[in-house]
Amino acid sequence: MLEIRSARKVFYKGQADEKVALDGLSLKLATGEFGVVIGSNGAGKSSMLNAISGALVLDSGQILINGDDVTDMPVHKRAIRLARVFQDPMKGTAASMTVAENMLLADLRSKKRTLRQGLNASRLATYKERLELLGLGLENRLDTRVELLSGGQRQSLSLIMAVGGSPDLLLLDEHTAALDPRTADIVMKATVRAVEALKLTTLMVTHNMQHAVDFGHSVIMLDAGKLRLEISGEEKAKVTVVDLIGHFSVKTDRMLLAS
Amino acid sequence: MDFIQTVFTSFVALIPVTLAQSLILAFVVLGIMIPFRTLNFPDLTSEGAFPLGGCVCGVLLASGASPLTALAVALIAGFLAGCCTAFIHLRFRIHTLLAGILMMTMLYSINLRIMGKSNLSVFGAPTVFDWAPFVQPGFPFAKIIVAGLIGAVIFILLNMFFKTEKGTAIRAVGANPDMAEAQGINVWVATIGGVGLASAFSATSGALMVQSQGFADVNMGLGILINGLAALMIGEAIVGKQTVLRQLAAPFVGAVVYYQLVSFCLAAGMPPPDLKLATGLFVLAMLALPSLKRSRGPAQARETIRE
Repeated sequence: MLEIRSARKVFYKGQADEKVALDGLSLKLATGEFGVVIGSNGAGKSSMLNAISGALVLDSGQILINGDDVTDMPVHKRAIRLARVFQDPMKGTAASMTVAENMLLADLRSKKRTLRQGLNASRLATYKERLELLGLGLENRLDTRVELLSGGQRQSLSLIMAVGGSPDLLLLDEHTAALDPRTADIVMKATVRAVEALKLTTLMVTHNMQHAVDFGHSVIMLDAGKLRLEISGEEKAKVTVVDLIGHFSVKTDRMLLAS
Repeated sequence: MDFIQTVFTSFVALIPVTLAQSLILAFVVLGIMIPFRTLNFPDLTSEGAFPLGGCVCGVLLASGASPLTALAVALIAGFLAGCCTAFIHLRFRIHTLLAGILMMTMLYSINLRIMGKSNLSVFGAPTVFDWAPFVQPGFPFAKIIVAGLIGAVIFILLNMFFKTEKGTAIRAVGANPDMAEAQGINVWVATIGGVGLASAFSATSGALMVQSQGFADVNMGLGILINGLAALMIGEAIVGKQTVLRQLAAPFVGAVVYYQLVSFCLAAGMPPPDLKLATGLFVLAMLALPSLKRSRGPAQARETIRE
């Protein structure tokens, strides 16, 4: 379960270019719920994800994961509970290390790292199995350095790494945006399969309205650092791309009127 | 013909001495390689940590401590110096190179304070080289055996360590710090520990050097960094750096080859003052090589596309 309580973050406070990134944002995501976050650029989507992962320190407000307050925890401590797939395929993997070593790092995310040998036969077998599910042939390239993989392969690897340890919370930050349509489709399908099979509590940011309609239990729309709209249950099942875009245009009209 | 023969004989005569020296200096090269390649933290601390190790060792030897104690204390002093550099970088967000320059400048005064004077003779004091098996103490072979054994042990231990769970985590910090942090790795602990370890090796090298040459000098670190870098480049050119094993072997192979090369150049009549210029040009060439290759290849291709 994820809960954000009136989170507030202001960049360049007191300066001419002061920017309110999160303006008292509150949000609840039940255990096993798959929420899709939409919103225009600058609505606070990335700030929200960064605040949840710990990369951004809040001015005020709280963040709770499974009921525990993680507001003051640094990134590496929160990593025990949450996993994240970034938009940039380069960000989520260690390029100069092998596929197997990357899998090992993810495998140890929520465990204590010891002085025992990292890659042993049983671990390699497990990683092979997990990578086979993707159907990209990565299982035969365990000793390949990640920098030699394509963007799609790297992103698929990031995904497998993220869902591997069944994290309490999975954050997907426009993770198919940098991929070509076919690869994006493969990665998206793999995501849905993993999230459904492991019943992961998931928060996915996307600019793809079709994805927002097709996937997830609820749609969350952010605007100017606030929760603007939440569609869930029956209503979510019926929502169409046109409906969602409608909410955007209302906002744009207002922006026009305001200016 | 006569000239070549003279050069060759004087070079051959120097091989054992140079080998002993290079095996001792291999630890500095290791201390440069670890931050530079494994942690992606270009570090200059070794220029100060090397004489720090030497000065600490010299003072302890002069006061009658056992050579092993002197070596251990020097190692700890080096570790702390490295930790300070990493801390300065992490806490105050100062560039790694500047943090290293600050540290080595401050270490110069500290080294002078430790010794109380600019040089100290410890000639005749017992050294770790006295314990070499099979050979008479004092000969270069004793140094070759002891320094070589210590080097071999450290090489094997490091090779094992970098493949453990903790070691893999430290390598991840160098490869992609953001990703490492997102995988639950404490970047601070890994960086401070890693740079500390590297400086500990540099200090160990300084301590061994003092025991080998019989005196300590605050200026003994002068230029050690550029020599170490040159050695590292040569080592990487010979054994490569694709795997942990190769990357770890590079400093040792590089140090041995580089110092023999230097010895050969000196035997061939190169004036010693020119040595640093030559070394600097060599390192520059090695570092520039990839970018020269690149600008000749794809850059032209891009221009053709534009047309």
